[in-house]
Amino acid sequence: MGRAFRYYGKKRGHRRTGSPTLGVGIEAAFSALFLVAGCVVLVSMFIGEVVPRWRVNREFIETGCKVLKKQIEEKQGDDGPEFRPKLNIEYVKIQTPSYYDINETPYNNREDAQAILDRFDLYSPERNNLYPCWYDPANPYTVVLSRGYPRWLWFAFAVPLSFIVIGAGGLIHTLFGWGKSAERRSVLSRNGVERDFLGIRAHGDRRCPFVPEGADMTNSPGTKLKFRLPICGAPAWALFGTLALCVIWNGLVAVFVAIAVGGHLAGKPDWFLTLFIIPFVLIGLGIIVFFLRQLLIAAGIGPTRLEISDHPLHPGEKYRVFLSQSGRLDMNALRVSLTCEESATYRQGTDTRTETREVFHRELFLHTGFVIQGGLPFETDIEFDVPKGAMHSFAAKNNEINWALMVEGDVAGWPNYRRAFTVIVSPIVGDPDR
Amino acid sequence: MNPDFLISIALDGDGRVFRPGETLSGRYWIESSDPQRIKAIEASVLWHTEGKGDEDMAVHEFWRRDADRELPFDPRRPEQFSTTLPNTPLSYDGRIVKLRWCVRVRVLLHRGKDVVGEKGFLLGEVPPAGYASQNGNVARK
Repeated sequence: MGRAFRYYGKKRGHRRTGSPTLGVGIEAAFSALFLVAGCVVLVSMFIGEVVPRWRVNREFIETGCKVLKKQIEEKQGDDGPEFRPKLNIEYVKIQTPSYYDINETPYNNREDAQAILDRFDLYSPERNNLYPCWYDPANPYTVVLSRGYPRWLWFAFAVPLSFIVIGAGGLIHTLFGWGKSAERRSVLSRNGVERDFLGIRAHGDRRCPFVPEGADMTNSPGTKLKFRLPICGAPAWALFGTLALCVIWNGLVAVFVAIAVGGHLAGKPDWFLTLFIIPFVLIGLGIIVFFLRQLLIAAGIGPTRLEISDHPLHPGEKYRVFLSQSGRLDMNALRVSLTCEESATYRQGTDTRTETREVFHRELFLHTGFVIQGGLPFETDIEFDVPKGAMHSFAAKNNEINWALMVEGDVAGWPNYRRAFTVIVSPIVGDPDR
Repeated sequence: MNPDFLISIALDGDGRVFRPGETLSGRYWIESSDPQRIKAIEASVLWHTEGKGDEDMAVHEFWRRDADRELPFDPRRPEQFSTTLPNTPLSYDGRIVKLRWCVRVRVLLHRGKDVVGEKGFLLGEVPPAGYASQNGNVARK
């Protein structure tokens, strides 16, 4: 019997199964939950934190008070001893001395609590040292020694507000698409979202929709040819990212290693912990090796410069490229290739994966067994053509077709390196033969 | 497929490859034993991706006919459509990314149900992936 209602989604090869209705329902419920939770927390924060402070600032009456006694109340809390500073004050409205908690939050150490009390001196009739205080006209036994809104309060509001924004945004998105076909939603979002960064990136040149504009590739003039191409993926940022991963991963692992080693040295080895952390240590070592390799390539191999005679590229057209490789390198081989790669992004459960497949590779230049002298970069001109009928560059949300000029170096005694320079291939507009 | 609603789409010059900037025209009609169940008909000229990645889709041209706004509403009468095709994206048969153009007609029924019919066509003459990959002459120094 066929199912009338598919209740799960799964990527099966090139197609996806699942229930769009259930998906929309879950999305709406999830957004509503966020919205309600955000509103509840916001209202409770407002009632519990803002309204009392607002009353203190607006309705409480100012008077002077005498500090008669200072003390620290010590209690055993869940996480150890707690120290709560307390003042015994007398103020003008009510002559009866009354205890007042300066700060309702107890402190974890006595010094902090004492620092609060040190702000106040005990009353002496000679000095007549009074401190300002504010009492509640509706209940004169309620008194405070400070007013205003603490800074943390406004930061705390960011939490429920972010929940409300996410929830409301999700609900609006769901309601916007409710009962509309995929095509109608696409048209409506195209009209409204063309300003969206993704739309701009994806649409690029309006004469060639969904062909990336490639502005980065034409904003830097070359010294020999028209444009200097930017290297794909800034190496400095990639290196920084690897370093950050290396420090965070190994920092965390080091804590557990220290605990395990400490146990062994103290004669109380924790073998479960010791065995458990071994794979994490090995991964950490792998990250260190990878980082050092990247560092070697970045520091030891000089910059690669690629200039091109024109951009964007068109199928069937000829172009010239100028290659410059700096450094002090004993090269086994240096090659330049024109490549085209398909890139597909898909979601599997909560994971987002991107798969790439090279569909075109043409070696344009190969030079073997030579030495690059320091201060005397290797330079060469290369001529190539983009195959007639080649697919143009394409960028949508989940699928891309990317062309690149790839420089690959095989250096004696060093790790091999590969530097990609993205180029845009675009059809010639208005020429029916292309 | 719903046997109660038969969607027919005919393209002028059917079967040929369309070039960027050319006019795509044709007509569609719906044969139904119960046309009162139709709430609206949407026709779109669109592209969508197939393959490994999640689907991307963009509508180039869109027409909608609401049954209660069009009197008399006769879905059996062939409805003409015409649009100028864009320069890109071109139809493409890649390894993990495929780009298909089509005319899609969606018949929206009452109670949220719908029936869809499609007619594919080719925009541009890009050969399948790998076709252009033969090695050319490699410059050697």
